Amino acid sequence: MTTPTKAGAARPAPRAATGPTPPQRRGPGRLRLSTARPWLLLAPALAVLAVLLLWPLARVLLISFQDYGLREIVSGRSNYIGFANYAEVFADPALWTVVLPNTVGFAVAAVGGTVILGTLVALLLASLDRVWRTIVSSAVMVAWAMPAVTGTYVWIWIFDADRGIVNQFLQGVGLLDEPHNWFTDRWSFYAVVLVNIIHHGFPFVAITVLAGLLGVSKEMLEAATVDGAGAVRRFFSITFPTLRPVFAVVVILSTIWDFKVFAQIYLQPGGSGSNRSVFNLGVWSYVESFAQNRYGFGSAIAVLLTVLLLAISVVYVRTLFKEEK
Amino acid sequence: MRKLKRSMAVTAVAALALTACGNGGGSDAEGETLSVWIMEGTNPDAESFFQGVKSEFKEETGATLDVQFVQWAEAHDKFVTSIAGNTTPDVAETGSTWTAEFAEAGALAPLDEQIEKAGLKDDLVEGLVEAGTLEDSLYGMPWYAGVRSVVYRKDIFEKHGLTPPTSWDGLREAGLALKEAEPDMTPFAVPGDSAYLAYPFIWGAGAELAEQEGDTWSSGLDSPEAREGVKFYTDLAVKDGLSSAGATTWNEKDVLDNFVKGNLSMATMGSWAMPAILEQNPDLEGKIGAFPIPGPESGYSPSFLGGSHLSVFEGSKKQELAWKFVEMMTTGETAAEWAEQTNYFPGQASLLEEAAKSDDPLVKPFATQMVEAGTSVPVAPGWGAVEAKKTVPAMIQSILSGDKSVDQATEDAATEIEELLNGK
Repeated sequence: MTTPTKAGAARPAPRAATGPTPPQRRGPGRLRLSTARPWLLLAPALAVLAVLLLWPLARVLLISFQDYGLREIVSGRSNYIGFANYAEVFADPALWTVVLPNTVGFAVAAVGGTVILGTLVALLLASLDRVWRTIVSSAVMVAWAMPAVTGTYVWIWIFDADRGIVNQFLQGVGLLDEPHNWFTDRWSFYAVVLVNIIHHGFPFVAITVLAGLLGVSKEMLEAATVDGAGAVRRFFSITFPTLRPVFAVVVILSTIWDFKVFAQIYLQPGGSGSNRSVFNLGVWSYVESFAQNRYGFGSAIAVLLTVLLLAISVVYVRTLFKEEK
Repeated sequence: MRKLKRSMAVTAVAALALTACGNGGGSDAEGETLSVWIMEGTNPDAESFFQGVKSEFKEETGATLDVQFVQWAEAHDKFVTSIAGNTTPDVAETGSTWTAEFAEAGALAPLDEQIEKAGLKDDLVEGLVEAGTLEDSLYGMPWYAGVRSVVYRKDIFEKHGLTPPTSWDGLREAGLALKEAEPDMTPFAVPGDSAYLAYPFIWGAGAELAEQEGDTWSSGLDSPEAREGVKFYTDLAVKDGLSSAGATTWNEKDVLDNFVKGNLSMATMGSWAMPAILEQNPDLEGKIGAFPIPGPESGYSPSFLGGSHLSVFEGSKKQELAWKFVEMMTTGETAAEWAEQTNYFPGQASLLEEAAKSDDPLVKPFATQMVEAGTSVPVAPGWGAVEAKKTVPAMIQSILSGDKSVDQATEDAATEIEELLNGK
């Protein structure tokens, strides 16, 4: 997300050269320049975007209409087969019984969990004094700073069947008779992923919401307290409406991240293909295509994922701003 | 296929042309550089080994070697992207299960002419030749090979008066005795995320993973023999409790880690794992042994004979020089030295025979396994897809976790293998 911006900002030289010219609106030539200027200034960033984002996107779309394998890579030939890849994706019962339910169900649970926990932590942080706020937010940052792969291995270790601390604790207090493998069952597998993702994702929500919270008008909150509104009422009647744009950003970003979660699933025991009931769109795409050199099929799944995310984002943004009017 | 034939013709012509000018003298390659990709981690001291190879190669041909080390985990992707971008090296180490796949895509050059000319045709390890052959042409020169056998804790066995088992029943009884005697250790690992550790019990029962009849492949996984083998293997965990709950999702790395930590009494592992075990846990020195995987009644169960080829890329403009390097690496002293340093076996048959005479207790059982009962996975271009899709691990894991019955799981796996090999 930051690459294009950086690349765009890295070229201030031409701007400085044309900068000092005062705005003059005499003649049509001047007028054209003033409409063109924003585009001229945007051009470097747009060019970078086109090369880095648009072209790969177009390539994925083109490849998704082909039977594209190792042979096509070697020869460089194209091999169009129309919508066959998409037909295969939609005809696969695994998509409807395993992959989509896992992807969507997990995203809903993870986004909900991350946003709720993040907001609660933000409210806690907002009510602390400066010293404690620094201490608690630093602690929260540690979870955020942990690389996804490292974090995943820590959770795998915690839930290890034979020697993990969770099983040892449950057996110690007598809730479990013999070691239980948490990674073989679809539900418990995703429960571990959920804990991992929420733990890794809530600090971003907390910090972003906190920034919004500090901007909520104190007078309005005080007035509401005087009027007899409780903490819950104050949150939903004053804080939440003020923070609506903040929540929009947080929810959309979390949805995108949680839809395309890959490493945290692929790295968990059984997640790389030996347990077929835990595939989500990302892992399915990888196992079905990359490992087997079926790049066309994999691209079709990737396009599907992109379209799905676009649709969700559009619907969400629209309802949000409609309500605001 | 047309492309393949054309490329073969081109190489044949090139080989003829090269041999024609090759008579002029050996060291015309002065100043040239040969780029080579080698897998990382096979030889703990690969750097110094290749220093030696480099100077020897320079002496012999005048050419410089540019050796790059590639991680196994990223190697397949790296090959694919280099093929796509026309940046392939001249020579690369290819895993024996990949060679047919890359050859079919037209990326590798056939080596039959050179091998014939060097008189090596009948001196190569059969399993590796089989794995590197596509439509009667050999695309990978056998370099080194290994097999998996059962590695066990000699000290624990001796403490309880047990001897290495020689039949499946014997394996089970040894496991049961160990479960009784050493309750803190797992007697025998039955990992749910490894195909190579399950194959011996399928082959041992007399079944084939897949066989070609005419143009179609059919899988023997749902045959009564295969089911018996799979049932025996998984019952060790499910019924007898000789494995652990965690092992249901273990891969081979997990098996090795747990053996190193002393959690396991027996586990199927490769000869190449021995140096790693002793390096990570020197306390196990002298306490570990190995025995070939027993057959159901007697004899041995076949184990996958895997390894690496050295392949010359079709796009290389230095085919003659490339072959000189391949020949140097895979035959004679250099090959023997590599095998010894890595605890693998050489791909040259005469060298393997020599190595099989070894009395080293950590070499001999593997050599026996390799010579007596080493076998190859089905040589089909689609077999790589079966492995990538983890068909067999998925089958074993679903039985271990209780999701599927043996009959159901084997049937599903057989269907999937047939779909993948026959290209749907």
